[in-house]
Amino acid sequence: MHQNNLFKTENEINPTNFGEALQQAIEIEIATIPVYLYTYYSINRSPNQDAISGSIAQALVRKGTPVGEANATALNLSADIMVFANKAGALIMSVAIEEMLHMALSSNVKQALVGHPDLTGKSPSVWPTCLPGHVPEFEINKAPLSLDQLMTFLKIESPKPLPEKQLLGAIPYRTIGEFYKMIKEYITGNDLVYHDRPQLVPGRGYYAQNNIDTTYYDKEHKAHLVNNPDSGDLITVHDRNSALMAIDIIVEQGEGNEDAPGLTDKGGVDCTLYPSDYDYPDFKELSHFEKFARIYCRYEYLNHQFDKLGIGVDDIGIYFVNKIATNPVTADYPANIQAMSNLLNAVYTYIFVMTEGCYKKDGHTQYEIFMFGIHKSMIFILNSLCGQIMGMSYTDKKDGKTTYMAAPTFEDYPFGLVSSPKQQVIATYNAAIAAGIDVSYLGQRIQDLPDVAL
Amino acid sequence: MAIINYAPGSQGCSSGCSAPAAPSGQANLASPLELHVCMGLNACKGHDRFGSNDCAGTGYCATAEYHVCHTLNNCKSQGGCGLYGTAHEQDFPGENECCWQGSCAVPIQAERISTMGRNEGFSTWKLARKLFEARMEKAQRNVGPAPFQCGPPESWLSAQVDGFASCGNSGEMVCSFGFNNPDDRAKEICESNPEEKK
Repeated sequence: MHQNNLFKTENEINPTNFGEALQQAIEIEIATIPVYLYTYYSINRSPNQDAISGSIAQALVRKGTPVGEANATALNLSADIMVFANKAGALIMSVAIEEMLHMALSSNVKQALVGHPDLTGKSPSVWPTCLPGHVPEFEINKAPLSLDQLMTFLKIESPKPLPEKQLLGAIPYRTIGEFYKMIKEYITGNDLVYHDRPQLVPGRGYYAQNNIDTTYYDKEHKAHLVNNPDSGDLITVHDRNSALMAIDIIVEQGEGNEDAPGLTDKGGVDCTLYPSDYDYPDFKELSHFEKFARIYCRYEYLNHQFDKLGIGVDDIGIYFVNKIATNPVTADYPANIQAMSNLLNAVYTYIFVMTEGCYKKDGHTQYEIFMFGIHKSMIFILNSLCGQIMGMSYTDKKDGKTTYMAAPTFEDYPFGLVSSPKQQVIATYNAAIAAGIDVSYLGQRIQDLPDVAL
Repeated sequence: MAIINYAPGSQGCSSGCSAPAAPSGQANLASPLELHVCMGLNACKGHDRFGSNDCAGTGYCATAEYHVCHTLNNCKSQGGCGLYGTAHEQDFPGENECCWQGSCAVPIQAERISTMGRNEGFSTWKLARKLFEARMEKAQRNVGPAPFQCGPPESWLSAQVDGFASCGNSGEMVCSFGFNNPDDRAKEICESNPEEKK
């Protein structure tokens, strides 16, 4: 467990630590991104329905179920699995996208009120990790989808304080909303100067609420988009109202409205849907907490359905969750996968370098960095590498026998100062090629990236 | 491309300011084709992938370079649309202003839907065709029927284009989990109209 001790003694926001508090907010948002992405990539969103259906039908027939009935049950449940796997992926990606928005919104607030946001090298470096300052601390793993992992997600997004009491680290808070409320109170209660400095602003095509990865297909294969186009966008922070609006979007998208119920008193999940579980009062999009609650409840329901069949399936994850390790690091992998992982992490980290670059440049330069660099890196290069690394496997060094699929580790790549970060990304690409990894289809795309300094 | 030699400031549209060496190649400018992103979007005779179409709107495939994802188009009006990108970008398939601003893959299969904008949930190709027909109307040109009423089906494209793909992780755009007929779904996408949604 790793706690960032930004503040040694202070438990509230004041003029001295206000800038650090905003940086803490940014790092809270950043900490969630590799966690959600890692679990997202653990999901096979298009598993083989015939294989699932066949195994269920065979197990039922072995138990004495008539063939026709077994096939009908298997078809129905396999379709449920197909929809669930796809929808869980869409919902988790929809949250990950909004966490990136939140990172930008909190960065805009810091940029306007204090100065440059620090984004590079801020991904958690030790795993399990925790949210900086969260009370109580709780372990956060890069782990495949499971009910346990979903419970971690629910704790991250919980609108109500968690029951345990533990030691404090950074500025303490019991929910992310509570932390942002402290920031809002400080902003509201003080006459602050709002600077005109580069921000990530709306209306320039930087942020899109939906894409094909936030889409899932229902049992009749009709497409559904899970984010609401009106659920929030970038905001230019130039005065008190705009700063407060930016923070409201972060909190409402994450935790829902103020009276959202959260986890039960015993730490369980209430599967009832309440109006306050939506991110805005217009009932169009669920909060992050409630999106995860929907996945959790459906997961439990389907587990129960399989349990009733008595065919030895106690976790439906066997059908669509890839077998990847928990909290892997690049050093765990054999040399060729290490080369691939280094390239992936260099691209991942370079996205933060480019995002920071957007806070140093304005106008067309900022636009080109974002559209030609960040979009291309996130949507095409990084996504391609994540898919490709999942096609590689290795044997666990610890026990010498367990075979895992390799997975993106989302570690910050340690860019040095002797050459530009882009030059170092290219070096990792060349190293991957030299290791026999076929990433040549990305060569020109990496060469096309903007050259942004640390 | 295999090994890359680092070249500072070499990023596409925004190349550096140093004097470039004169290129040695020669583009074929004798009879250049208009670049467009899909079947049925050609303005002129002979301006499709195969050079054999008779008139506007009847071409079989894109003249723009094929690509699989957002931000990978070469230049103006060479980006497809539908899977990634903002509402504004997705409202104008094939009409992007510059390189790498196209919102998705080229060509545009019939099954593709827009994920943002006024056309959200509806056929991307049909929107592209509608914009194309409006442009031809302004130019006072007659437009012939596209080879497929709602654009090229993915199965047809896969047979024509080696390795045709578009990006995204959400699975096949038209298929069945056992409770629908994929052909009915394809027909529904073809016939549905965002105007009727209003």
